[in-house]
Amino acid sequence: MFLELRSVTKRFGGVAAVDHVDLDIEAGEFICFLGPSGCGKTTLLRLIAGLESLDEGAILLRGSDLGQLPARKRNFGVVFQSYSLFPGMTVARNVAYGLACRKWPRREIEARVDEMLDLVHLRDQAGKYPHELSGGMQQRVALARALAPEPAVLLLDEPLSALDAKVRETLRSEIRDLQKRLGITTIMVTHDQDEAMEMADRILVMNRGRIEQVGVAQDLYRRPATRFVGEFIGRLNVLERERWGDLLPPAGDLSEALLAIRPEHVRLLAADEAPAGPVVEGRVRKVAFLGNMTRLLVEADAGLVEIEVHGPLQQGEVGETLRFVLPGEHLSAVSAGPR
Amino acid sequence: MSLAGPRPGRAALDADRLLLAGLAGGATLLLVVFVVLPLWGILGYSLVTPDGLGLGNYARYFGDPRFVGIIGNTFTVALSVTAATILLAYGFAYALQRTTMRLKPLLRLVALLPIFSPSLVQALGLQFLLGRNGLINRSFGTEIDVYGFWGIFLADLLYAFPHAFLILSTALAVGAQRLYESAETLGASSWRSFRTVTLPATRYGIASAVFVVFTIVITDFGNPVVIGGNYGVLAVEIYNQVSGQANFSMGAVIGVLLLLPAALAVLAERWIARHQHASVSAQSVPLKPRPNRRRDALWLAYCLLVAAALLAVVAIVVYASFVRLWPYNLSLSLRHYAFDVQNGIAPLWTSVEVALVTAAIAVVVVTLAAYANHQLSGGLKRPLYFLAILPAAVPGMVLGLGYILAFNDPANPVYAIYDTILIIAACNIYHYHAQGFLLATTNMKQISRTFEEASATLGASRLTTLLRVTLPMIWPTVLGVGVFFFMRAMVTLSAVIFLITPSTQLAAVSVLYLDDRGALNQAAAFAVCIMATVIGVLLLTQGALRLAGIRGVSLIR
Repeated sequence: MFLELRSVTKRFGGVAAVDHVDLDIEAGEFICFLGPSGCGKTTLLRLIAGLESLDEGAILLRGSDLGQLPARKRNFGVVFQSYSLFPGMTVARNVAYGLACRKWPRREIEARVDEMLDLVHLRDQAGKYPHELSGGMQQRVALARALAPEPAVLLLDEPLSALDAKVRETLRSEIRDLQKRLGITTIMVTHDQDEAMEMADRILVMNRGRIEQVGVAQDLYRRPATRFVGEFIGRLNVLERERWGDLLPPAGDLSEALLAIRPEHVRLLAADEAPAGPVVEGRVRKVAFLGNMTRLLVEADAGLVEIEVHGPLQQGEVGETLRFVLPGEHLSAVSAGPR
Repeated sequence: MSLAGPRPGRAALDADRLLLAGLAGGATLLLVVFVVLPLWGILGYSLVTPDGLGLGNYARYFGDPRFVGIIGNTFTVALSVTAATILLAYGFAYALQRTTMRLKPLLRLVALLPIFSPSLVQALGLQFLLGRNGLINRSFGTEIDVYGFWGIFLADLLYAFPHAFLILSTALAVGAQRLYESAETLGASSWRSFRTVTLPATRYGIASAVFVVFTIVITDFGNPVVIGGNYGVLAVEIYNQVSGQANFSMGAVIGVLLLLPAALAVLAERWIARHQHASVSAQSVPLKPRPNRRRDALWLAYCLLVAAALLAVVAIVVYASFVRLWPYNLSLSLRHYAFDVQNGIAPLWTSVEVALVTAAIAVVVVTLAAYANHQLSGGLKRPLYFLAILPAAVPGMVLGLGYILAFNDPANPVYAIYDTILIIAACNIYHYHAQGFLLATTNMKQISRTFEEASATLGASRLTTLLRVTLPMIWPTVLGVGVFFFMRAMVTLSAVIFLITPSTQLAAVSVLYLDDRGALNQAAAFAVCIMATVIGVLLLTQGALRLAGIRGVSLIR
């Protein structure tokens, strides 16, 4: 395994910001740490970078323990949310910084800087100072600077959060392409589920310092292991078996107390439709028209259900009574918290 | 399996730690030698009696009604000046920050004038204005006797004014426009909105200014020694005991007594500064005062009145330095600038030399102490911080006396620089260490930690990061620290009065001696030279900064 986290733990004043996290990362993989603010994802990244010291556990690179090796000796490239380009240095000198620290010969530094600036399409900006560049450009320079010393791992700490929506979109694919091309093992921290799903090979969802679930985007969406994951990634109806009872398909292997279904999987019935399974009746409480779809909040006897309908909608006035079914194949069991 | 990067080099790893340990250790050692040891010396000396160690000196002191009276005087003056200064300065700062009146830049400049001069210039000016041969008494035939309580009161009021003004001005500078608009739309009168919005938002500034002014007044030596007359205060008493009667144990007792209230005031001020919470967030709409003719005119009148008082005291000193013989022959003359007295002009050059040496060393020592403190984590951080700001609680007279007691001893290694300008520079550096340290620390805190982290992840050592990333970002502040120390070293009187020797006469002390001898015109001329030097250096630096394209660096603290 390329990079291994073994029971990694960090406490701040007695509170575990990162709580016994285990993870294996393969060479060349792009993995995202996803979670709400304060979940410990940035701390975990900083622990890997060597910017924080471990309280417990170990981080192994190609099998050898990084121990208390300081950040500057790890050879990990880091890109921060706030760009953090050195303001008194030109773009070229920023990119050259890590190489100069490694005492590269001047000629090689120049060649490498050109190469890196080509990579992020900023060759013509080499002589400019950071404040003369847009946010997106600055972040690309930061990327070039981090990549220049040929780091073993690239660590990105919310690199796109400070940017405008449009720039963010372009940079997403630019970073992803670059990462694929260089084949560099990359870890990115983000609180944006779209970003994580679009860019990452695998996503690690964190909550309160613990891993809730690790997997590819499709798995997280289709089979959220916990209620938290389901609700954090997309929208989710969580139904308590106790209250919904017979309206849910018979237990079978779904014997858990909580069952979940995505709003788009709840199927509205036409007036004359009579399906085999149980039918739920409910009153429309809210209607939100969102362009390509309409989201209804329906109140049944057993509780509230969100339903998303794509395309034109025949029924759905507030106060109207609707009939719908909860298809068994889309119901999944979720646990209340991490296993 | 091996690491991709270089193996963890022990030597390099240790170099980072060594650098920090060396800086922190060095800063601590210097602070112990130049602050703690002198204070320890004072405490020790205050306990030395003919019958061995004991509280005998204190008992004698408190048994003497004259001494008890002096303590009473000191507090009376300190409390009344503090109250008056805060009131006047709050109004002045309010007018400058919260109205649209004209002449603001000019008024601000005048308010800061006293900072550029030795503390006895106010007293000197008051002598020319209100003294027996002063402008007022001679013009109107009155017989105002300014020497005593009122002299000290007025002189220290003018002297402390800019310090209070700067703090209150900062407190009043920020305000959330929406808060005032809310108050107004809710029907609050302007008095009510002042009471419910402005005053609460500035209460920390007020408290901070109270303690700063109190400390300044209780420890000021220059003004009371010139204009105090028979109204004794502790700072003058310590000088009389030590310089006049060579009574070091008594001086030490007074030193300890002076140390206590000053230390308490500083502790209170620091406590307030720590518990200050900003009511203004980054999203707040900044306050924009709206014009109001009548209000602005009234405030302008008030400010002009205050400014006139501040200016008059300095202006009369400048004027007196150019007249033949105050007050008998008012024809203009440059003869007092010939300095055909005592050591002539030499003390001024000594002062400049001392100020330059002070600034040069302070920039390095203070910046590195702030850097070490900034980088430290864990148990050592707080002790170093405490030591670094401890001097704020030490009155100049006390520190100076401590230097004599601790270092005037051939067995002490520091004795090697005794009787040189280096000991004076050291005294200046550690007298004003807290202010310089806080300036640098505040600036370092403002710089995002990620710059240093970025540098570290790119493989830079701590030293490389310091030299190539941190220093290039904070150099304007470092320069500001240098200017601050230069200014202080030029005008300070209290700390160095015990340390000067015939070969190291200083300009501020010369003003005192000339005044003491009744050579008021020459004293005025000397004071003018000091002020001109300070202002000249300030303007030069400001100009250089502007040429370098650096803006927003405030050099006046």
